[in-house]
Amino acid sequence: MNRELIILLGMLATFAVSIFKLKVPAGISLMLAAVVGALIGGEGLPLRHLVEGGFGFLEAILIIATAMIFMKVMEATGALASINAGILKTFYRWPTLLLMVIVVFVMFPGMLTGLSSTCILTTGALVAPVLLAMGMPKLAVGSFIAMAAIFGEVAPPISIPVMIIGGGVDMPYIGFAKPLFLVSFPAAIFTAVFYRYRYIKSFDIEQVLSRLDTTVYHKFGIKLFLPLVFVVIYLVGEISFHDYFPHLGVPLIFMIGALLGIFSGEKFNFLNVSRQALRNAMPVMAILVGVGMFLQILTLTGVRGYLAVKALYLPNEIKYLAALLMPFMGSAYASASVIGVPLVYVFLGKNVLIVTAVLVVMASLGDLMPPPSLLCAYAAQIVKEKNHFKILRKSAVPIAVTMLFGLLILVFSEEIAAVIF
Amino acid sequence: MNKKNIVTYSILCVALFIGGMAAHDFLQMHEEDVFKPSATLTKTGRLGDYWQGLKGTSNDSKIFYFDSGKPGATVLLLGGTHPNEPAGFITATVILENVRITKGKAIILPQACESGFTCTDPFEGNPRYFHIKTKSGNRKFRFGSRVANPLDQWPDPLVYTHYPSGSKYSGFESRNLNRSYPGRPDGSFIEQTAYAIMQLIKTGKVDVAFDLHEAAPEIPIINAIVYHEKGEMIALNAVLSLEMEELRYKPELSPKNFRGLSHREWGDNTDVIPFLMETSNPIQGRLRGKTDEELILKGISPRYKEALESGALNIEYLPSGEPLKRRVGRHLAGFKAILEAYNEEYPEKQALLENLPDYSDLMEKGVGAFLN
Repeated sequence: MNRELIILLGMLATFAVSIFKLKVPAGISLMLAAVVGALIGGEGLPLRHLVEGGFGFLEAILIIATAMIFMKVMEATGALASINAGILKTFYRWPTLLLMVIVVFVMFPGMLTGLSSTCILTTGALVAPVLLAMGMPKLAVGSFIAMAAIFGEVAPPISIPVMIIGGGVDMPYIGFAKPLFLVSFPAAIFTAVFYRYRYIKSFDIEQVLSRLDTTVYHKFGIKLFLPLVFVVIYLVGEISFHDYFPHLGVPLIFMIGALLGIFSGEKFNFLNVSRQALRNAMPVMAILVGVGMFLQILTLTGVRGYLAVKALYLPNEIKYLAALLMPFMGSAYASASVIGVPLVYVFLGKNVLIVTAVLVVMASLGDLMPPPSLLCAYAAQIVKEKNHFKILRKSAVPIAVTMLFGLLILVFSEEIAAVIF
Repeated sequence: MNKKNIVTYSILCVALFIGGMAAHDFLQMHEEDVFKPSATLTKTGRLGDYWQGLKGTSNDSKIFYFDSGKPGATVLLLGGTHPNEPAGFITATVILENVRITKGKAIILPQACESGFTCTDPFEGNPRYFHIKTKSGNRKFRFGSRVANPLDQWPDPLVYTHYPSGSKYSGFESRNLNRSYPGRPDGSFIEQTAYAIMQLIKTGKVDVAFDLHEAAPEIPIINAIVYHEKGEMIALNAVLSLEMEELRYKPELSPKNFRGLSHREWGDNTDVIPFLMETSNPIQGRLRGKTDEELILKGISPRYKEALESGALNIEYLPSGEPLKRRVGRHLAGFKAILEAYNEEYPEKQALLENLPDYSDLMEKGVGAFLN
């Protein structure tokens, strides 16, 4: 058996035994898998590599920690309940339209930041109580916001996986708005309609509203939304009006937003809320540290290259399968970088902008997939579900439809390019 | 102390131990590489001499000046713009350790982004050093990151907007020197570095400049000479003369909408004629297998051979490998050919650099034979 395959199987087996048999948390299981991979690969215990990989997602970890504090503050001030009530009151007569508005609302932070996690942790967390109150089962709610986060990461104007692929093939980030819109919005609308008819029957608006606190808004007025307004304006401003918005970084923006919350609504203990938020975020942050170590060892031992070459080594007739394998890398950024870059060359001759947009939607689905299942883990926390793999199972239909839709766009990319450009 | 506390403190102690060991390794990368310049060295300087904001920082990089004392062209050579592309850095080192200049001046920055030599890229599993056997013993060189150390510039924005064009790149590229030209004095750390290099070009009255790079074998612009439109004739003549030596280089015109890169911004913002060269480096590629020092030096990757045979990609990779000596040899041959073409184009203002090894010398004797 191939050396790299033995290492990979050893790592996966360690992960499976650790998480399922020994009931060790996912983050620690990934770390153990990385250590075993290094030992099988003959690298001994490469402390430097394990620490370097563990710190690879430091910025994402800081974003998650501060975004969680921000969201807990929004909840404590009463802003969260007021926004939910506002959305419901406006759109409750048209449930299908309501779901479409909600899916775009959840996508919004991802469209601006290029980060799927911000969708779940901000707007996703905002709408989850509304959807639950409308009678949608909690697994479906988790799946719905996780899918919306994927589409937000892909949709224009900002798509970081495109920039990652662009960086690998020396392609500037120009002309992607239409292709990214095409691969994200129709699939997002399908998801909204599917969840509407599959999971939401009739609901009593008064009963739903009665489960949300609508008095806070009358007490504090527009001031209640000051933190949210600040965060959205600054995130957009840093990217689009960078000359006027000094660079603070996303974690600091969330922290300033959270601190503004002290003066915007109901009184709360900032320290206690922060501690609770960090306690909630800890498993996800541990997963990221573990994934970082896992990825570093995959590269060090040559398993990453093995997987990438095997994906390419497909007969010409079924090379589209390589694109369909992209989600199974378990991370949008890793998939875009490792498989996305070579695949752009595999599909040379087709419209490169549309090909890249399709590869990005495939790669972004990786954020749902194990081993990290990052978005499912976030969504599970928000809907208070212990087994985040159930969220993934619930997402099977929209994932399959999104992949099928992407595949069709890839096959007919030349014809589509002739129409949209 | 209860059982829970004992477990907690034990885990903390283990974490501190691991962190301490790793920190020791990371700190070692701040020790500078040693250069042994040729006897014709006129003086040394630092990048901070061109912009005070860089003085004492990680990018106060060493500069080596060679002045023939005879009027002629001034040549600038940059290696180490991307510290994970060792052929550029080592070619600059070979030149500064061997050159004898008889006309004009040469300015050499072997580690243009020295900050990037103080760390490695997460998830890449790269080694920190590689070793080359020379006549004076085994010499150790750092293998760094594509971009500046986050300790010098952090946090990255989500999206990096290039100044002044407004072109957008992923946030990671905000620390990439070759996406930051022309830079600005009040900008980020790396924009200040780019600004200092622009000042060097302007105040040093540089006539022709080189930026030496490497790229993954699957990148289309590889084994190439990238030129600004004002250097087109020189580049094409050089490519032709290299063909005579049976060395193939792709001539690539610098795209006008790809901003922040040396071959575009140096040419647009100064009088210099810029050239950028790329060789095929398997350790940068995403298809590579086991990642270690051998891959840097011998450039043998069974995975690239497999990918080449699959026919799925257009790959610039020789089945026998892409060793460092071949990559350095290509850079040297390209550098000499462009300089010769420049001298023919501007006979009244020539730069003559002698005692530089040929491609065949490198292939026969290896890189170590030309390091002091």
